[in-house]
Amino acid sequence: MARKLTKNTKSVPMSILAIAVALAVIFPIVWLVCSSFKQTNELFRYPLHMFSANPTVEHYASVMEGGFMGYVYNSFFLAIVGTLITLVISSMCGYALAVYRHEIKYTNLVFGIFLLGTLIPGETLTVPQVWVIGEFGLYNNIWGVILPVVTTTTGIFLFRQQYMQLPLSFVEAARIDGCPEAKTFIYVMAPLASSTFVTLAIFSFMWRWNDYILPLLVLSDQKNYTIQIAIKNFIGNTGVDWSSILSASVISMIPVTIIFVILQRYIIGGVSAGGVKG
Amino acid sequence: MGKSTTVGSRRLKIAFWGFVAPSVILFTIFFLVPLVLSIAFSFTDFDGWKTMNFIGLKNYINLFKDNNFWGALGRTFVYTLFSLPFKVIIPLLIAALLCSDRVVGKGFARTLVYIPVLLSSLVVGITINWMFSAEYGLVNYLITSLGGTRLEWALNPYLATFVISFASNWASTGFYMIIFIGGIKSISNDLYEAASIDGCTSTQTFLKITIPMLAPTTFLAVLLATVNLLKEYALVQGITQGGPGIKTVFIIQYIFDRGFNSMQYGYASAISFIVMIIFALIAYAQFKFSNGGGDN
Repeated sequence: MARKLTKNTKSVPMSILAIAVALAVIFPIVWLVCSSFKQTNELFRYPLHMFSANPTVEHYASVMEGGFMGYVYNSFFLAIVGTLITLVISSMCGYALAVYRHEIKYTNLVFGIFLLGTLIPGETLTVPQVWVIGEFGLYNNIWGVILPVVTTTTGIFLFRQQYMQLPLSFVEAARIDGCPEAKTFIYVMAPLASSTFVTLAIFSFMWRWNDYILPLLVLSDQKNYTIQIAIKNFIGNTGVDWSSILSASVISMIPVTIIFVILQRYIIGGVSAGGVKG
Repeated sequence: MGKSTTVGSRRLKIAFWGFVAPSVILFTIFFLVPLVLSIAFSFTDFDGWKTMNFIGLKNYINLFKDNNFWGALGRTFVYTLFSLPFKVIIPLLIAALLCSDRVVGKGFARTLVYIPVLLSSLVVGITINWMFSAEYGLVNYLITSLGGTRLEWALNPYLATFVISFASNWASTGFYMIIFIGGIKSISNDLYEAASIDGCTSTQTFLKITIPMLAPTTFLAVLLATVNLLKEYALVQGITQGGPGIKTVFIIQYIFDRGFNSMQYGYASAISFIVMIIFALIAYAQFKFSNGGGDN
């Protein structure tokens, strides 16, 4: 980036304002994290302090003893397996919709049907969706929260866009050489879309890690809970189990934050290019 | 058509349908079938289990007379209208600030502002709720330290709605900020140079160049924000669960309450259908607009 480094154009008040805004936005998370290391009696006693006088990991230990790592495992399973399936099927579909647009009449029709997925929010279809999941025998099964969500219009859209920009001559050359269509995709065309794979992988992982509605309705057996459902269960009818929910929430933030810090540019690129929901 | 082209195009047809089959099949089972079922269920008294009788338009007639439905829908609209300006204007201002050449540490500041976007809606709700908890929350502590009386954030419907709106805006600021930064970066530098030659102040430049040139981006942000506010659900579960009473039950939660708690799948489907039409109209406007923008 060609940044102008002329010193006299920098403004100290504006820089201070910028950093103050950023710190204000991040503050609730810092407060939550600091609180999670306080002793229980410190949590519920005035005056409040930012940092604990005697930091403790007891809330983390008790949450772990309650079988939390099992829920973390289920969430990783959902996020990783769901993301792998999403990558495979969206890349295939987006590729076909772009590359066969001259040979096959129905590409626009098929793409138009997928766009229904962006016109109608999933929340309004949850009731019959859960019934369908039950009919397939996937109720209370981790696959019951994976298979319904792996087809994302966003993913198909991203790959279609990507392959629309690549010249068709690659595919034609492979055809002349007698290369089967599937091989052309796997060995020639898929590697050319590697940045789309990375972008969608990051978003898909975050979506699945944070999935809430479907797991809540479909996973009834405690051993199948994902991390979000386990957190929700700390909110009881009589009140919130604050000492557990703070540390559980902090644990749930760790993977997505690590991914973000490492792969930021793909996330920012995805959001600004297509308004991909973060 | 010659024989060889028929064979060739048949080969391509098989390849095409093979490539799209997994997505098409899963999309059909878990999206198109529920879409059709949702409409079909809405004409029945289906309880999600055994009973299913055709009852014509009865669900829709009941819906029309259901005060709780109108209450939830009305609350959702009021909540959306009040939250919308903040959801769009605050990120716009932050984006303008974090695009300025005069600010040091822009990248770092953007990173921090984006981090809440990564959290699940439930955890967003919990994080903000922890600050606003009535007894030992930080906000009430600060209010009482300054000599005020503590506020019952969870018991007063207006305060509870405010906390939900605050949480929602907080969590989405980074997302809309990035969208606005994209918009600002696409504004030609010539305009800013011309403005500085003419001696415009920063405020004048912002009001006369940045804001008008950002109109398409702002329109997109308004539409996205509207849809996201109308379907607020998981966040509320981390804060009020709809309380006090049903004062923060928004329309999606009302659908779920009717469907899964009262086992009125038919009735819930009728509500879904009405809500779906509202969303589809908004999304259609968005789709029309973004295609008209000349991306493709």
